[in-house]
Amino acid sequence: MGLYSLRQADRSVKLGAVLFLLLLGYAYLFAFLMVKTWSGLTPARVAATYVPAPGMDEMHMATESHATTKPLDLGQMPDMKHTVDTNTLVQDSHIHIMIYAIVAGLLTLIILGLDWPAWWRDTVIVTAFATGALDFAGQWLMNFGLGGFAWLTLVSGWGMSLVYLIVLYATVRAVLPGRSTGGYS
Amino acid sequence: MNIVRRLGAAAGLALAVAALGGAAHPSPKVVLVKHADFIRQTLAGATQYFVRTVDIGKQDLAAIRQKSDFTPEDPDVQFYLGQGEGGAPVGAVLFQQVDSPHGPLEVGLSFKPDGALARAMVTTATVETKPWVQQVIGTGLMDQFTGLRQGDDPRKALAGVDGKLGGMPQYMAELIATAVGRGMVLYSTLYKGSST
Repeated sequence: MGLYSLRQADRSVKLGAVLFLLLLGYAYLFAFLMVKTWSGLTPARVAATYVPAPGMDEMHMATESHATTKPLDLGQMPDMKHTVDTNTLVQDSHIHIMIYAIVAGLLTLIILGLDWPAWWRDTVIVTAFATGALDFAGQWLMNFGLGGFAWLTLVSGWGMSLVYLIVLYATVRAVLPGRSTGGYS
Repeated sequence: MNIVRRLGAAAGLALAVAALGGAAHPSPKVVLVKHADFIRQTLAGATQYFVRTVDIGKQDLAAIRQKSDFTPEDPDVQFYLGQGEGGAPVGAVLFQQVDSPHGPLEVGLSFKPDGALARAMVTTATVETKPWVQQVIGTGLMDQFTGLRQGDDPRKALAGVDGKLGGMPQYMAELIATAVGRGMVLYSTLYKGSST
């Protein structure tokens, strides 16, 4: 024991917890739009973003170059496909994994006050940290050519959202006056 | 209080739904000029357009390595050709990308039929590099590449921006010059010598 209870906590603590979660949800809204635009929401599109294109295969290369020319309709030119190469993934990883850790840590502070059974509390805390780690594990595995791990990145994103949803729901239940078992400070 | 509770639940649900699927966070590229717009603008007078895809062969790969110190990542290189009335060539366009720890940078290069560089423009940057790239463009560096021919060193154009840029914009200027140089090598090696 020794944990605090959000339900019994000072009003300022409740206010801080709820506002943090609402602002986090606000950020998630744009994260969703960003992922939808630049990476996609299906395993095929995510894999196309992260799995590198086949490189130069000098063993099977023809001696002379070969060219093919086709008519081009400028009005039908496809938009440039967004891809994430190793350098970009290094950059993304060093920023996002740190942010994921900070967010998971702050969610943990709220979870500690939710009066949950210890097993459930620990499960959600571990999930909060694991989803961030697995998100980028999936991206790196795809970067190594294992496109089948697109599902890992997608499932991690869903897991992150599920943790958020659970914590938000429980927090709102805990701070609403009608459900409070103790008085406000 | 039920209303407050329901509003809270609705807000939470809306935010959670928006967050669902929120997986990886790619660093977005910023398209400064669309490929089609660059081709249309720089191949003025063209009435027909073509795309020529060159699969690099061993001989040309060796030539590229001899002329410069890089190996193309993609075994296929695409040139966009413009033809005017009667099929007269107007020029060719190539998009050359260079990578950096801050994301990729792409430069569009338009060549005249005689092989001289007609126009160079940064077509793609990233959210992080865009302000640095815009500083570089503001110095007029891109105009300094106009008229370059095979064998010319595009890095000489950097002399015009010395002392005008800070650290990261200067780095971007060097990357742009690198992209121009690589594009010129690909054009001189693959475009004219490629058979259809």
